Amino acid sequence: MFNRDFFNRMDIVLIGAVFLAITFGILMIYSAGFDPAIAANKGLYKKQIIWFIMGIIFMVVMSIINYRVLGDYALYIYGFLLFILLVTTIFGRPIRGSSSWLTFGFFSIQPSEFMKLGMVILLAKYLELRERDIKNFKELLVPSLIVLIPVLIILKQPDLGTAAIFIPVLFTMLFLGGSDVSHLVSIILIAGIAFLFPMLLTYWEWSGYKGGNFIVELFVHVDVLFTVAGILLLIAITTFITHYFVNKSFLRKIYIPTAVISLGLLLSVVIQNWFKVYQKKRILVFLNPDLDPHGSGYNIIQSKVAIGSGGFFGKGFLQGTQTQLGFLPEKTSDFIFAVVAEELGFAGALLLLFILGLIIYRGIRISLDTRDKFGAMLAIGIVSILFFHVFINIGMVIGIMPVTGLPLSFFSYGGSNLFMIMMGIGILNNIKMNKSSY
Amino acid sequence: MSQTSLKARMLEAFRKRMLMFIIGVSSVFAILALQLINLQIVQGNEYSLRATRNMENNIPIPAPRGEIYDRHFQKGVSGTVIVSNRPSFNLTTIPESFKSDDELLGVLTRLSAVIEINPVELLAEIKKSNAWERFLLKDDVPFDVVEKIASHRNVFQNIHWEDAPIRVYNYGELFAHSIGYTGSLNKEEYNSLKNQGYKYYQNIGKAGVEKQYDRHLRGEDGFIRRIVDVNNRTEDEEVGQTPFGGNNIVLTIDYDIQQTAFDALGDNYGTVVVIKPSTGEVIAMVSKPGYDPNAIISKDNSKTIRDLNADPKKPFLNRSIQSRYPPASTFKLVTAIAALETEKTHADKSHYCSGKYTLQGYVDHDFYCFKPHGTLDLYWAIGKSCSVYFYNLGMSVGPSNMMKYADYLGLSEITGIDIPGEISGFVPSQRWKLKTFGQPWFDGDTINMSIGQGFLAATPIGLANMLCGIVNNGIVYKPYLVKQIYSPDNRTVISETKREKLREVPLSPTTLEIVKQGMRDTVIGGSGQSMNRYKVAIGGKTGTAQTRSNRKDNISQHAWFVGFAPYGEQTDDSIVVTVFIEYGQWGAVAAVPVADKIFGKLIQQGYFKTQDKENISRK
Repeated sequence: MFNRDFFNRMDIVLIGAVFLAITFGILMIYSAGFDPAIAANKGLYKKQIIWFIMGIIFMVVMSIINYRVLGDYALYIYGFLLFILLVTTIFGRPIRGSSSWLTFGFFSIQPSEFMKLGMVILLAKYLELRERDIKNFKELLVPSLIVLIPVLIILKQPDLGTAAIFIPVLFTMLFLGGSDVSHLVSIILIAGIAFLFPMLLTYWEWSGYKGGNFIVELFVHVDVLFTVAGILLLIAITTFITHYFVNKSFLRKIYIPTAVISLGLLLSVVIQNWFKVYQKKRILVFLNPDLDPHGSGYNIIQSKVAIGSGGFFGKGFLQGTQTQLGFLPEKTSDFIFAVVAEELGFAGALLLLFILGLIIYRGIRISLDTRDKFGAMLAIGIVSILFFHVFINIGMVIGIMPVTGLPLSFFSYGGSNLFMIMMGIGILNNIKMNKSSY
Repeated sequence: MSQTSLKARMLEAFRKRMLMFIIGVSSVFAILALQLINLQIVQGNEYSLRATRNMENNIPIPAPRGEIYDRHFQKGVSGTVIVSNRPSFNLTTIPESFKSDDELLGVLTRLSAVIEINPVELLAEIKKSNAWERFLLKDDVPFDVVEKIASHRNVFQNIHWEDAPIRVYNYGELFAHSIGYTGSLNKEEYNSLKNQGYKYYQNIGKAGVEKQYDRHLRGEDGFIRRIVDVNNRTEDEEVGQTPFGGNNIVLTIDYDIQQTAFDALGDNYGTVVVIKPSTGEVIAMVSKPGYDPNAIISKDNSKTIRDLNADPKKPFLNRSIQSRYPPASTFKLVTAIAALETEKTHADKSHYCSGKYTLQGYVDHDFYCFKPHGTLDLYWAIGKSCSVYFYNLGMSVGPSNMMKYADYLGLSEITGIDIPGEISGFVPSQRWKLKTFGQPWFDGDTINMSIGQGFLAATPIGLANMLCGIVNNGIVYKPYLVKQIYSPDNRTVISETKREKLREVPLSPTTLEIVKQGMRDTVIGGSGQSMNRYKVAIGGKTGTAQTRSNRKDNISQHAWFVGFAPYGEQTDDSIVVTVFIEYGQWGAVAAVPVADKIFGKLIQQGYFKTQDKENISRK
């Protein structure tokens, strides 16, 4: 099995980049745990080395199992992971406020991490099966369910960050899977409108802003809003029915926007009334940590100070004052990028971005080179999981994205995410090795 | 449509969308890189500063504040030390260094045997603080306690001490108003002074010399540079800067004279100002009632200060420079000078005093003297303080001339003494009266003014300064309290106050001679006769100011005495003594004995050369 040919067909650049990234990460975890003040961080790098070795085994196994087999068992894999996720959420002991962990004696795993892969496999399979009809609006229903079920369970844990990453991965896969762009945009717009007004109202109320009377009035006199939404909906339905009889494409230009606006407005009433004020405030803080300078805002400020003070070449390995004196929070996990940027500077941070960019690039290549729809979709699913982790995590650490508890894959300390992403890399590698078979 | 072409078209569509995805991914990477450039390169220096501020937490080492001595201080020969510092220590601890609350309580309990603390209450307070931060257990701890703790480190583990010298005012109330006191910076002071190197934890002079010369006295605090972690735990420390002590100050005040004046005032409210006219040196400055600065600087002082501020007796008020009263009969000197200088009269001109003066008008109005004096010349009019004589004089000289000479003699200005808070006296004018009361200047106002009543007001220092002008032939020097400033080790004189001419009043020697002789007559045959027993010839003028209220023992009059010695030839040794007593009844009764004691002490201390008093010629 591991003959010369096996190694020749392997994506050496991809595997090499991954090993480089993980080794880089372990060094940074060592540095982040160097400060003796936080005993819990001591020796974390050793554990990460163990996770790395175990991860290699997972990766090799996934490289060997033909990825088409995953497709055949996609529903079972998904179902099994969903079951585990449900068990964890109901019975798991809460750690730091969320029941995301399943504990086996000395070690814990986070099933929601593996759910990401399960979701991607099932979505890829579905997109392959429905390849021809995918432009149809009703074909969006099943993919939405595939994603929404685990998302709702994870939100229950609650783990907002992990839940949040499922949505962009879904949209990326639908987009590349061939869905009608106007459908995707419509859904995003409906959600946008539905959240915009309640969030604006909450924000104005919180900050004591006196403007925006028109919108305030609209929500006080809901009947007006209902009338507007109802009329728009009526127009949408009439034109929609008409287009079956008079096949004119301009009718699309009427019923899609009217339906989007009316549904958005109706949903916004639901959100305004069902969500409690503290929940809406939590979403606002998530979007803008500056609203809570003593909570998550503090972390971002310290992280930006760490990164900014690193300068071009950094303060040197083990020499970061923000890292070593404990000003940087969560430095072994969510904020590990700030450790890199502080101690190794812009140069080190750019090297990190380059390695991750290379891995993503290889993944995209594999997806493009695969003749088979399932393989291409699966590859792009895994790539987008990695990409959105990188985007959301680094974006948060440098202060341009909301604060979420997402790790930086390959770098942050933690077994579950590492296992998941290494299995993903194994799958990518397998797709590459089998590309000529189909 | 064939199977293959559909497949091909779909692949084509996939490639197109993948290109858009790649563009999206690349844009995100570009945005991340741009924000990194922004943080690390564009704003790099700013964030470096913030990182430094995060980790540096310096501990100040207080600089000893300069000491203050009386006028007899000389290099090698120490004078009286009026203000000094006493070593004291703060006991501190870092709560986190104890393994358990019980261990901490144990140490506190043992500590309570040597200093006054309540271990249980203190523990509760400590529990509320940041466990990693230095906690002040007790301030003002004497050295022997620190010694005990240092030699029993195993009993008092994790107890630290730091230098915290405390200001000591060795004579308490005696110098309260001239020297002032110190206190911690308040918000307004901090905001206006932080640019000049003042730190929020420092003390600052709040009044008197302590305030005026704060920049000399304060020195420069040192600090220990301390690198801390997020819990404020020390990672590393080194001496950043050693403290530099404040300069020492030598006053012009003579401790013995000050003490004499203080004692002589007794329980009266009032003030004494003793000035040397040839330089402006203030030999003594006492104001009563006063306060003890030592009580104010101790830790819980806010209540003491509030009580003192609320006290109707106004103990914080330095009455010598911050309050003004009608100058009363002491103003007759100004009336006389104005009349002589404008040649409206001459010294030998006599007036008859029947005990009253009638001002003729639509309705005649009588102004009284305190007793009928008969016929007097100007000398005896001053000596006996005959009001009727001065009513006549005032009427002939006119209000404008009196006002002009009052202004010349500085009664409407501040003297510019080197302590803060001085107010000026007040000389009215016709225009002022019209503006304020809507009435013209009446002859009655002129009559009142000629004996120093009515709208006139003078501060004790202002009146002393006026007399300095008369004694010193019209040349007035700015009064000052600080003679010299020495380096912290007292080896070098950093600055020495030179006399500063405040004004030169153009007065003829004859005028001055007449006025001085009149004042001499006060002592020879007037209300100051008790002082004639001294070997040195003293001259003076009493005053009794009418007030509209009677607050103390039904007495509604303030008492003044302004005097000088020696009378006779012009000499640089002259000294002017001003005594003011609130509700002191007659000037002679209340103020003269105070001045008497002060002159006695001045003579005893050798301030004057011996004089052949009997042979001083009367012109």
